[in-house]
Amino acid sequence: MRTGVIGLILPPTFSFLEMMWRICPALAMGCTVVALVPPTSPTPLLLAQLAGELGSFPGILNVISGPASLGPILASQPAIQKVAFCGALEEGRVLRRSLAGKCVELGLALGMESLLLLTDTADVDSAVEGVVDAAWSDRGPGGLRLLIQESVWDEFMRRLQERMGRLRSGQGLDGAVDMGTRGAAACDLAQRFVHEAQSQGAQVFQAGDVPPKSPFYPPTLVSNLPPASPCAQAEVPWPVVVASPFRTAKEALAVANGTPRGGSASVWSERLGQALELGYGLQMGTVWINAHNLRDPSVPTGGCKESGCSWHGGPDGLYEYLRPSRTPIQVSCLSKNMNYDTFGLAVPSTLPAGPEIGPSPAPPYGLFVGGRFQAPGARSSRPIQDSSGNLHGYVAEGGAKDIRGAVEAAHQAAPGWAGQSPGARAGLLWALAAALERRKSTLASRLERQGVELKAAEAEVELSARRLRAWGARAQAQGHTLQVSGLRGPVLRLREPLGVLAVVCPDEWPLLAFVSLLAPALACGNTVVMVPSAACPLLALEVCQDMATLFPAGLANVVTGDRDHLTRCLALHQDVQALWYFGSAQ
Amino acid sequence: YNFCGRGLSKYLSWISKIQVNHPAVLRRAEQIQARRTVKKEWQAAWLLKAVTFIDLTTLSGDDTSSNIQRLCYKAKYPIREDLLKALNMHDKGITTAAVCVYPARVCDAVRALKAAGCNIPVASVATGFPAGQTHLKTRLEEIRLAVEDGATEIDVVINRSLVLTGQWEALYDEIRQFRKACGEAHLKTILATGELGSLTNVYKASMIAMMAGSDFIKTSTGKETVNATFPVAIVMLRAIRDFFWKTGNKIGFKPAGGIRSAKDSLAWLSLVKEELGDEWLKPELFRIGASTLLSDIERQIYHHVTGRYAAYHDLPMS
Repeated sequence: MRTGVIGLILPPTFSFLEMMWRICPALAMGCTVVALVPPTSPTPLLLAQLAGELGSFPGILNVISGPASLGPILASQPAIQKVAFCGALEEGRVLRRSLAGKCVELGLALGMESLLLLTDTADVDSAVEGVVDAAWSDRGPGGLRLLIQESVWDEFMRRLQERMGRLRSGQGLDGAVDMGTRGAAACDLAQRFVHEAQSQGAQVFQAGDVPPKSPFYPPTLVSNLPPASPCAQAEVPWPVVVASPFRTAKEALAVANGTPRGGSASVWSERLGQALELGYGLQMGTVWINAHNLRDPSVPTGGCKESGCSWHGGPDGLYEYLRPSRTPIQVSCLSKNMNYDTFGLAVPSTLPAGPEIGPSPAPPYGLFVGGRFQAPGARSSRPIQDSSGNLHGYVAEGGAKDIRGAVEAAHQAAPGWAGQSPGARAGLLWALAAALERRKSTLASRLERQGVELKAAEAEVELSARRLRAWGARAQAQGHTLQVSGLRGPVLRLREPLGVLAVVCPDEWPLLAFVSLLAPALACGNTVVMVPSAACPLLALEVCQDMATLFPAGLANVVTGDRDHLTRCLALHQDVQALWYFGSAQ
Repeated sequence: YNFCGRGLSKYLSWISKIQVNHPAVLRRAEQIQARRTVKKEWQAAWLLKAVTFIDLTTLSGDDTSSNIQRLCYKAKYPIREDLLKALNMHDKGITTAAVCVYPARVCDAVRALKAAGCNIPVASVATGFPAGQTHLKTRLEEIRLAVEDGATEIDVVINRSLVLTGQWEALYDEIRQFRKACGEAHLKTILATGELGSLTNVYKASMIAMMAGSDFIKTSTGKETVNATFPVAIVMLRAIRDFFWKTGNKIGFKPAGGIRSAKDSLAWLSLVKEELGDEWLKPELFRIGASTLLSDIERQIYHHVTGRYAAYHDLPMS
């Protein structure tokens, strides 16, 4: 079922092609578009005029020409159901924050830099052409980072500089140009970058037949930029290319993956095995082999990490503009006085109200981190009460340090788990389901103490076991596809596990929710850090006792404690790849 | 450029590591044709320059002295006099670069050119043109006889079987023998790229041909199924550039076969200008092997001067 009205926000340096890549699928899926474009370019307005002349549907494409500050205002309009944002990282963050709590989907495509990795087994002349395609034609969206193997550095540089001398820049209608201009703003950005790079000791080479006045900026090659300099960390603007050498393939991957941006990249090598290995190893949304910027409407391209997570092209791109037909209408849950700085900082004290009466409870559970129960960093525990107000048990009070330890343990287990075959993963989930069944009586009795009827409790346990088995079976279907499209060569769409997932469970259904959220994450090859239900984490901890024997260490980690505080720690931790939250509106 | 012994093996080991990426070259070839267009008076100027690069060719079984004579006359006066006058280029000495014929017709060609009072060179094809599948002894003898008859340029064909079996040293030796047989004559080595199998082979064969002493490398005989195409040319031009960077010698380039329209010839000129630069746009370093191309260029120039499209019978036949 189609999403309704799409708001589209474009950056000041967008190109016409980028705009069409976003408008066309939206219109094709039956959505209408409101686009916010920077005022310097009249092309989208012309496009909207043409769309208006189509007659029968006058409002399908609307264009507002205005400054970027209108972005959040557009996004917060009540009728907009999805915002597709394309632009800089900071603005994307601001937009995300302003849209929090409203049920508006946000598609982000941040940062437009790409990477070109050249090995010594590549055809160097063709790679030079690849650089021209990537950086200095009107198809590439942003600047380019070049990683060149040291043994071909001199040869490549010489050829690249010679080729740059032949580039012509000018008005688009002049029949013999290679590249045009993206506006004065882009020109300034490039100029600033180059000045800064020079002041940090880089060498700058510019060439080409370019009209001298702004907004035309000549093709620029920057080399010898020290890797630790701030310029090397910032995004490379168009039409600048920053080149750096590497010695071995391993080093290349480390350097390439060592940026927070994960947009697109290309690998150049005539040896198939090496090319594929490097391609798999790059943490980028789109990887081309021996080509760059080959786009085809039926092939999805997108980014990962800080480059946003929206897809363009292909079936994935179309799904962006659809939503499942039976989604309930989501009520927006805005929290009026949201103070991000103080949320979850302090942990409310949980001292028991009066002196303890009744039999002495079992010793407090620790945190289940790294495959075993550990004492929490703060060395304190909190009491858990059952439905009649009596003390049910003590669990550990987890804090920021424990979260950090849990995430580290999860990361250590992640490569091994992701590398397991789907059959092995399914096997482990089924083993856990069997263990749950064996523990049925203990789990049911604990649930009863929480006020659940015996029958319902048993049903809950059974359902949990069933869910585990169902997800185990689903682990087998991986979802990789091979696509043959109009491009010369096959397209491999891989579904990779995200990494470490953090899950904050809801209060209701303490056992079922815990298991239902744990299973899908594990089935797809991720490792988890879970914060179980605050009211009764004991059930989750029972399951952990089974997991301690069955699962490899660090696969699933459970941290108990104050939910708000732990959520804050998880949200602020930058090495957690995703966070699922079920809880309060805040 | 005398590569002997150790120098040769060093270059051979370097050559064996060359790889050419086919799809990328094809993409570049498409790009060249799309991105460089020339119009109006600049187009007329480029076309006249293209005329000075043509090796006017006739290589048929039914060549006799009469059509050779007509060809040589056309070589001296490629564009109709009044058209050249209208462009104010009638006194610039515009002729084609050379005349290309079979070895048996070299005498006729030399005689006809002398009668016309023209000193453009006569190029002869040799070494078992077009297939090259004859004994080495007869191939060398052909070259010597053609040179004796008065040909000052020789277009030889390489032995494709040596390329396809990877015998690079043997190929080098053969071409060196051709070079010696030519003596003072200008040597053009035809690689017959349509039969070499892959772009990597084309590159390697180009390098060997240049190392062995050719003055020009030529894409094809014009008799294969696939003759001069842009991807092949890109690879050969890159080879020429590499050779120049490594040794400082400028070797010429000649595409032949399949170039029939004036628009094509402009694309070829752009290609050479882009890949090698303006120094290569001289008849000493660039030739186009064609026969009907000249009439199409003449028609384009006619159109530029008069604004009307000519019929084929309006312009003198070659």
